[in-house]
Amino acid sequence: MARYGMALDYKNCINCKACETACKEENGILMGADKHRIWVGTGEIEGQYPLLDLTSNVFHPSQCQHCDNAPCEEVCPTQATYTDENGVVRVNIDQCILCSYCMNACPYDARYVDDRTMTVDKCNFCAETRLARGETTTACQNTCPTKVRIFGDLDDPNSEISEVLRTREHYSLKAHLGTKPKLFYLT
Amino acid sequence: MEVEISRRKFLQGTVAMSVVGSAALSTNLLSSSHGSSAKPGAVSFHNTKTGSDKGHDVATLCEMCVNKCAALARVENGVVTKLNPNPMFPKSKNMLCARGNAGIQALYDPDRLKFPMIRIGEKGEGKFKRVTWDEAYSAILNGTDKFPGLSTILEEEEDNRSSMLFCAGEGMAEHTFKQFYQAFGSANWLNHASICLQTVASGYGVTLGSYPQADLENAEYIIMAGANRAEAIVTPDTMDLFKRTKGRGAKMICIDPRFTNTSAKADKWLAIKPGTDLAFVLALTYVTFTEELQNNEYIETHFNSYEEYKNSVLENKYTPEWAEPITGIKAEDIYTIARDFAAAAPKAVYYPGRRSTFAKNDFQLRRAMAIYQALHGAIDTKGGLIFGSKIPLKAHEGLQPLYEKAKARAVVKSTNKEGEAGYDDCAVVSGGGSWIGWRNRFLDGKMPYKVRGMFCYKHNPMMNMPNTQKTAEMLRKMDLVVTIDTMPSDTVMYADVVLPECTYLERTDPIKTFGGVEPSIAVRNKVIDPMFESKPVMDIMKGLTTKISKPLFEISKKFDEEIQDLIDEDGEEEAYAEFDLTLPFLHTQEELNHHAVADYPGAAEKLHHDGVFYPKQDDYYKQLSANEHQYYPENKKSYSVRGGKPVTPSGKVECVIGSFASKGIDPMPVWRDEYEFSVPAGKFKLLTGRHAQFTQTGSANNAMLIDLMPENFIWINKRVAAEKGIKFADMIEVSSSIGSTRLKAYPTEKIAPDQVFFIHGFGEESEALTWAYKNGGNDNAIIEDTMEPVYGAAAMHETNVSIKKV
Amino acid sequence: MALRELVNKIVPIKEDFSIKSLLGFKKTPLNVLVFFMIMGLLLLLVWGLAQFLMHGHHAYNVTREHPWGLLISGYIFFVGTSTGLCIIASLGHVFGIKEFNHIGKRTTLLAIITLLPGFIIILTEIGHPVTMMIYNILTPGITSAIWWMGTLYGLVLTFIILEFGFALRGNHKWAVRLGIGGLIADVAAFTTLGSVFAYLVARPIANGPFIPLYFLLTAVVSGAFFMFMIYGFKHKLNFPEEVKITLVKLAKILGLLLAVTMFFEWWRIITAIYGDMPERADTMMRIIASTSFQLEVLFAMVIPFVIILVSKGTALKALFFSSIAALISIFLMRNDMVHHAQMMPMQMLKKTEYQLAPTWIEYSPSPVEWAIAVGALGVCFLLYYVAEKAFDLDEDDHH
Ligand SMILES: Nc1nc2c(c(=O)[nH]1)N[C@H]1C(S)=C(S)[C@@H](COP(=O)(O)OP(=O)(O)OC[C@H]3O[C@@H](n4cnc5c(=O)[nH]c(N)nc54)[C@H](O)[C@@H]3O)O[C@H]1N2
Ligand SMILES: Nc1nc2c(c(=O)[nH]1)N[C@H]1C(S)=C(S)[C@@H](COP(=O)(O)OP(=O)(O)OC[C@H]3O[C@@H](n4cnc5c(=O)[nH]c(N)nc54)[C@H](O)[C@@H]3O)O[C@H]1N2
Ligand code: SF4
Ligand code: SF4
Ligand code: SF4
Ligand code: SF4
Ligand code: SF4
Ligand SMILES: [Mo]
Repeated sequence: MARYGMALDYKNCINCKACETACKEENGILMGADKHRIWVGTGEIEGQYPLLDLTSNVFHPSQCQHCDNAPCEEVCPTQATYTDENGVVRVNIDQCILCSYCMNACPYDARYVDDRTMTVDKCNFCAETRLARGETTTACQNTCPTKVRIFGDLDDPNSEISEVLRTREHYSLKAHLGTKPKLFYLT
Repeated sequence: MEVEISRRKFLQGTVAMSVVGSAALSTNLLSSSHGSSAKPGAVSFHNTKTGSDKGHDVATLCEMCVNKCAALARVENGVVTKLNPNPMFPKSKNMLCARGNAGIQALYDPDRLKFPMIRIGEKGEGKFKRVTWDEAYSAILNGTDKFPGLSTILEEEEDNRSSMLFCAGEGMAEHTFKQFYQAFGSANWLNHASICLQTVASGYGVTLGSYPQADLENAEYIIMAGANRAEAIVTPDTMDLFKRTKGRGAKMICIDPRFTNTSAKADKWLAIKPGTDLAFVLALTYVTFTEELQNNEYIETHFNSYEEYKNSVLENKYTPEWAEPITGIKAEDIYTIARDFAAAAPKAVYYPGRRSTFAKNDFQLRRAMAIYQALHGAIDTKGGLIFGSKIPLKAHEGLQPLYEKAKARAVVKSTNKEGEAGYDDCAVVSGGGSWIGWRNRFLDGKMPYKVRGMFCYKHNPMMNMPNTQKTAEMLRKMDLVVTIDTMPSDTVMYADVVLPECTYLERTDPIKTFGGVEPSIAVRNKVIDPMFESKPVMDIMKGLTTKISKPLFEISKKFDEEIQDLIDEDGEEEAYAEFDLTLPFLHTQEELNHHAVADYPGAAEKLHHDGVFYPKQDDYYKQLSANEHQYYPENKKSYSVRGGKPVTPSGKVECVIGSFASKGIDPMPVWRDEYEFSVPAGKFKLLTGRHAQFTQTGSANNAMLIDLMPENFIWINKRVAAEKGIKFADMIEVSSSIGSTRLKAYPTEKIAPDQVFFIHGFGEESEALTWAYKNGGNDNAIIEDTMEPVYGAAAMHETNVSIKKV
Repeated sequence: MALRELVNKIVPIKEDFSIKSLLGFKKTPLNVLVFFMIMGLLLLLVWGLAQFLMHGHHAYNVTREHPWGLLISGYIFFVGTSTGLCIIASLGHVFGIKEFNHIGKRTTLLAIITLLPGFIIILTEIGHPVTMMIYNILTPGITSAIWWMGTLYGLVLTFIILEFGFALRGNHKWAVRLGIGGLIADVAAFTTLGSVFAYLVARPIANGPFIPLYFLLTAVVSGAFFMFMIYGFKHKLNFPEEVKITLVKLAKILGLLLAVTMFFEWWRIITAIYGDMPERADTMMRIIASTSFQLEVLFAMVIPFVIILVSKGTALKALFFSSIAALISIFLMRNDMVHHAQMMPMQMLKKTEYQLAPTWIEYSPSPVEWAIAVGALGVCFLLYYVAEKAFDLDEDDHH
């Protein structure tokens, strides 16, 4: 029993996309343009060569926020989307009817349709693979060259993530929506 | 196990494909006995979800690029389902990049070479016949009706072993292949150096005695010029650097004509005009001298001809104001950088770079950089450039026989008087040779003797050398081309005999020792058995040498009087023992590796199990957190191993190298007017380089990576594009004096109005590569074969191109 | 015929009803045209359904960013019209507006036959309809608007079919009782459908009370247009006096509702734009600028309103033609609503190196989506035709 979350030291991110490939290989995700659980976003650079705005070019890694107050779960008509005992928001593919409501409800574009099962898929903190094996790292966290990600139990005051959230400033995405994300961006 | 891919949206529709089940891996065009060159209709992907049980891990090393990161391969039911970073290796620090993760796709690439093949069509046509290994070896020895074999060639060339060229790309088993080259007795060896790091390695080599590493983990001030560590990944530099950028311990100044991902992480990005870094460094040096910023104590003990260099810089008035119009970098920025660098020294790094030879002056640039670094005493110190230490391995015996008739290396001297040493194309010929120089001499018929064929190992000169057309012509003119590769590359298409090596996950490779601040030994252990009929190069060499050794000896016996004498003296059997090509390949790789670490008790077992070994590892190695590991305690790290002393023969930093003068090379770095950057109106300077998700041409067919970035686009300045009516994704034809290529447009402000850029490694012409075939543009089809004058390295940013919307 | 007797025991069927009577329509050019139109629509639907069965959602153009498409709009169109008809049907019996008494049965029938195609469409929009039946019951997601909407529409269908049955049998007491039940369930269901969008906190343009209320209003509007169309056809624009009175009354109600709808729209637009709130103002600006929105306002609101206003509701012929245009526009309106809710990307950054930064999300339905959404209309017409032949829909007239 834990309440897993992830803190992202996102300013370390170099947009190498190791995390994206690790996730696909670990979790057997389909290839294809919109089939991804995880992504790194970049903004278009501002300014005119050579006077570019260095701050306009952030690399922003993201994935499902594992909202404590998850709209996707709330709207699911069959409880296919649920929060497991570790606070991980997951989809039970046997129960998913592909009504796509959750895809519309998620404010983070974290969900997509898996073309094999034709059900909705998303990041599940590697719950079916690594966590199921008793490991305590996610594939994306483990592989990252610049160690952007800190994954761990938010309920454990001694965990690295709890420590880092106590000692460093952070923000979460679209916090005003009240989704209470468990992904934290360290500043 | 097999996983289909999303048909509808795969690669945003850029690559059409069909999907089948697991049988797909066993079908391939090249293997089909009638040698059709049709594209395979069946493609499948191993993109397997890992299981929820413990699984079985094998410690191995990644070979998706030069870095050799340590990996743990997860094997389930004989299938590699995941590659995870192996945290034990100090060089890779618990990471695998996107390519490292996608190594599984290289293993299960349906286009892989699966069987030995011999050519049945025209050269370059890509029509092959599947044969057995023995038939392939026989074809190499005896030829077919399409091409002559080694016996014919050596017979006709009267046992001139140098009539065969050997070339290899970088890799852990390059060593094995090189042993074959040495045993064969040829003098013609070419590797990737002259199209990669030749000038930087040599520039630092002659100046400091070695190509040093940078201690980016401790440096406080870093000038990152002409190196793109966020996208051109080099370990441990990439990891060390970016954890510390922007107010996190290190100040980084990025100097690059393009705005790269490295620039995005810099405290300051300075857009330099291509090829003018030398002026920038000289101006920094000028400020150092005029403001007395240098470390006089260090200079006194560790410099040769310091005053001479100082006078040259001062007399030539390499002021920041002088450099400003040349480089495009503001004088005030140069002053600031020089002062800040000196203030941070010795924890300051002017990063040496890796792929060098951007412009003709590159060798002098690297010398100036090395000297600039040394002026601050930031050599062999924590936070500076370091030599590090290395854990020695026990060597094993190779075979280097001397054949009387083997001619010396094919380098000529037409400008000099007969009998004198000197070269046509460049002043110095390094061990790796000058690829372009060699190829062009061959094509121009300027070889001192006939070179008739070549062996090519893990190397793709077709795609990687400027002027693809000329490389094709060279390959076509070769009587016998043998390629050892894993993929049907563009070079393989020109082969007469194709020998399929298994991928790195299917073999144990020569053990390697990795020097640095935290030295260690690491090994690539075989993860699964070779698929199809592929084999490790070690086994290929064993089979091939067993086939050819005796027959070739018979030819030598005919022509080589020394051998004849030897036989007369010692008898044939004993004489042959010195020329027995099979000798280096008698042992298995595992045995050789065992032998190499025999001096360290327990090392072999540790390497087999953990993949990594260094003395006191058990005491030193600690996991500090999920992301942090300690390899050596701070006081055991090899920051300083020589008290700052350079490793040159003199033990000093060499500012002036007198012997160069006679070869027409500036003995010390000076600026020359012809170095100035210029582009004719309406044209653009073409830049080339890396992308974080691709390795040169080797990963161009990797489905997982193409999924991340389906093709390369050409960077064109936004305003220029607007003027020319070019919009995003418009098809562009880029042409130079030697050819043209096509790819889509990416208008961006990340590049100057008079330059264009695209990622190297795309636009393959081998139809056997389902994904890579004609995917994007091939830079080497338009990059002119300009050579840098000192080592004959390929100067890759000297080409002007024009662009046209098509 | 035993079956016939059995059915007759439940609901009275016209004496002359037979397969022959079904095919025995007068072969006037108009009738033949309508026949082929219905057949064409049905073929389209069958093809669409076949594609769905073979390829599932792969046959649709919905994407990660725009997961709801034409089928959702088609569904809303049909069930919305049905709700409107249900409300109109109850104007007489339930609300005691006696001019509407005589149309009650027919209108209830119309509510049924517009609801069924809606159901067909939604079953093809749901990726796993069978799973839905099972888990809607086993593990009900009671916080889900879709669950409530689905459950309520199940009730609605039950109520109005029973209501229609009792009406056919002349059991007015139960017909009225069930009518009230159906009305409540229907209003609840359709506004709940509105709330499916209204609950989306992620989508500021949809979030809030507007859509459920707007749904309620436009349901009646859409039902009224449908009435004009059906009665126009039925009487070939030669309305008997009794019908005329009812339709003029309906036109006046419609006029009022249109005024309210336009009023609603106006304030929605102004409040969305005012203050320039991100993701709301810009989305609204884009909505106003879109042709489909302008057409929707013009044909579904302004033109019919002007006709009603100018003629005081008596220009029934004009209203007939404008109703057809209006229904098409309402189809557009439903589609716009669904699209507008998803137009703004939830993720504004570039995810791959060579792409343009995400902008407004575009969506155009695939042929299969078109086939199902439009083809379902064939079911509607066919059922109406069969019902017209089978049941005495005008019996009320004589009471
Ligand atoms: N225009 C342009 N040209 C360039 C560069 C550039 O930036 N721009 N970069 C230059 C640089 S820095 C370098 S280092 C060179 C690199 O040039 P190469 O050394 O030729 O490297 P790759 O392109 O990676 O090609 C490696 C070949 O080895 C094969 N291979 C991969 N793994 C194995 C294996 O395990 N066994 C065997 N037998 N074969 C294998 C691959 O299929 C591929 O054909 O290119 C240079 N050329
Ligand atoms: N992901 C990935 N990593 C790799 C490789 C790979 O293929 N992919 N290859 C490996 C190999 S073999 C090598 S050699 C290294 C290469 O490592 P790097 O040398 O760092 O890689 P390049 O992309 O060639 O970087 C050259 C940079 O110099 C810039 N540049 C061009 N001209 C000039 C100039 O005149 N002045 C300055 N200051 N800058 C200039 C280019 O815009 C480019 O950003 O990377 C290694 N790592
Ligand atoms: S692996 Fe790490 S550095 Fe690379 S893209 Fe992902 S988060 Fe960024
Ligand atoms: S990010 Fe989206 S998918 Fe993930 S829990 Fe929140 S609402 Fe659900
Ligand atoms: S698509 Fe599946 S997971 Fe999403 S709301 Fe519908 S039933 Fe739930
Ligand atoms: S936590 Fe696991 S499932 Fe989620 S993005 Fe990372 S690798 Fe993928
Ligand atoms: S940097 Fe990436 S590709 Fe290169 S060895 Fe390491 S993991 Fe492999
Ligand atoms: Mo290289």
